[in-house]
Amino acid sequence: MAAEQREIVCIEDIVKDFRPGFGLRRKRVLHGISFGVREGEIFGFVGPNGAGKTTTLKILMGLIRPTGGRASILGHDVRETAFRQHIGFLPENPYFYDYLSGREILDFYARLSGVAKRTRRERVDRLLDWVGLTGAAGARLRTYSKGMLQRVGIAQALVHDPSVIFLDEPMSGLDPIGRKEIRDLILRLRAEGKTVFMNTHILSDVEMICDRVAIIVAGHIRYQGRMEAFLSTDEHECDLVLQGLDPETAQTLEERFEAELRGMGDRVELRVREKNLREVLERALEAGASVVSVTPHRVSLETVFLNAVEEEAGRR
Amino acid sequence: MISPLRVWVVAVNTVRAAIRNKLLYTLLFFAIALIATGVLVSTLSYVERERILQDVGLSAIRIFGAGIAIFVGVGLIHGEVERRTIYTILSKPVSRSEFLVGKYVGLVLTMWLQLAIMTVAFCAVSLLYGAPITAAHLAALLLVAFELVVLVAVATLFSAFTTPMLASLFTVGIWLVGHSTRNLRLLGEQADVEGVRFATALLHRVLPDLSSFDLVVAAVHGLPIAAAQVIWPMLYGVFYAALLLFLAALVFERRDFR
Repeated sequence: MAAEQREIVCIEDIVKDFRPGFGLRRKRVLHGISFGVREGEIFGFVGPNGAGKTTTLKILMGLIRPTGGRASILGHDVRETAFRQHIGFLPENPYFYDYLSGREILDFYARLSGVAKRTRRERVDRLLDWVGLTGAAGARLRTYSKGMLQRVGIAQALVHDPSVIFLDEPMSGLDPIGRKEIRDLILRLRAEGKTVFMNTHILSDVEMICDRVAIIVAGHIRYQGRMEAFLSTDEHECDLVLQGLDPETAQTLEERFEAELRGMGDRVELRVREKNLREVLERALEAGASVVSVTPHRVSLETVFLNAVEEEAGRR
Repeated sequence: MISPLRVWVVAVNTVRAAIRNKLLYTLLFFAIALIATGVLVSTLSYVERERILQDVGLSAIRIFGAGIAIFVGVGLIHGEVERRTIYTILSKPVSRSEFLVGKYVGLVLTMWLQLAIMTVAFCAVSLLYGAPITAAHLAALLLVAFELVVLVAVATLFSAFTTPMLASLFTVGIWLVGHSTRNLRLLGEQADVEGVRFATALLHRVLPDLSSFDLVVAAVHGLPIAAAQVIWPMLYGVFYAALLLFLAALVFERRDFR
């Protein structure tokens, strides 16, 4: 089904050069990157600090002009303005007019977005409730915590009911509860049919909620694709936890099948290749051990991410 | 195409920011205090006390008006970029030009609001002291309002591409030179060298002629003021500000917000 979904955010061969200072040579920060975001998905744009994630997002938001290439959202060139009523944006560490209250700032953004007067009040109230800020709606933003500001940021991004939402490091600086709240909000957005583009370097969040991902390293896209395809490799492994396995058999299994062995009290954990699993299990059971658990071990995004970074370092 | 509605939303918010800014109240307090000191200054003289009182009052309004306009104007756009508040605004269906013009209109309205308060203070002090308020005084104040239209545009132009420090230097420089360009041209006309005549005439044409907004002396001394002395500077101010805003928008459209 995913293959049938149309791409509504298209980045084609985008190049961006910055001049570090007056009279200095231009520095290329994006080297002709291309990728697409499909309708209705949560897309993770991942990369280390300084890789070009925020620059790419700023190009999409029209805050930075690309040196070359083309970027479009919903079929519109990103330099246009009117189509922005269909997109929402949460910048990294958002800062808002702190002399306004939560309700006033949302009303301000709703007016800017052209939300009709008759629906504005209701929409603002509903969003305040949606992000859990109804109780603090009348308080000035300067009294808000970081987590509350992040929720205001989410609410302003949604105030005009956009179909595509761009989030720059939405979990940055939040505690575990705040991060979970934002993750839940993003999943709710997808459930409502919205498309979410998320810039982040928190890989566990990407693994948990993203449908597809692209990894950018030093201004180059190194990987992109669906999470499942992305994380599968030819070398599938399983974590096998056994109880009552005698040390001699454990050592034999470790040597014979190149398994990784870890002691866990009276239990042992063996990481074995999937192709060896049946034989290891049979031998362990024959030796009188009992099986506690068998867990398929996925290659984590972190592994792929670090490989990409190391490969890039090797190229330099 | 600029949407007046979105410009208005940005402008109203700019006014609201000023109303909730305690620093501006402090500046306004000092301005009113200076207007009131006209009473003290006038007591130093035995003659023309009313004129001295009103001269001090109107001059205080001009200087404080210009000072506040420059002080706030130079950070008008830069502050939004520095604090990144502009990111969320430009992600909405708002063009950079609409934002820029909205901020400008908001600051002009703020300045006019402050000018109105200072005018009330000036009138109150004058009437308490028995100095009459004439149409000439009001015309002088009206032209102060239009001088601010130009000055805020100058500050906005510089704020669109440079830091508040540099923008302050440039704007104060333009303000000072702007009050001298007419005299410069008159001086240049006396020169024998064609190049000097050309340069001074060019400066007078390119830089704002802010002395054309100065009716304080005429108003205070009861000199006749023709309608053209009020209408032409007003039109000139509006066109000059529009030209500066056009240039500011051109620069602003090309900026990268890194």
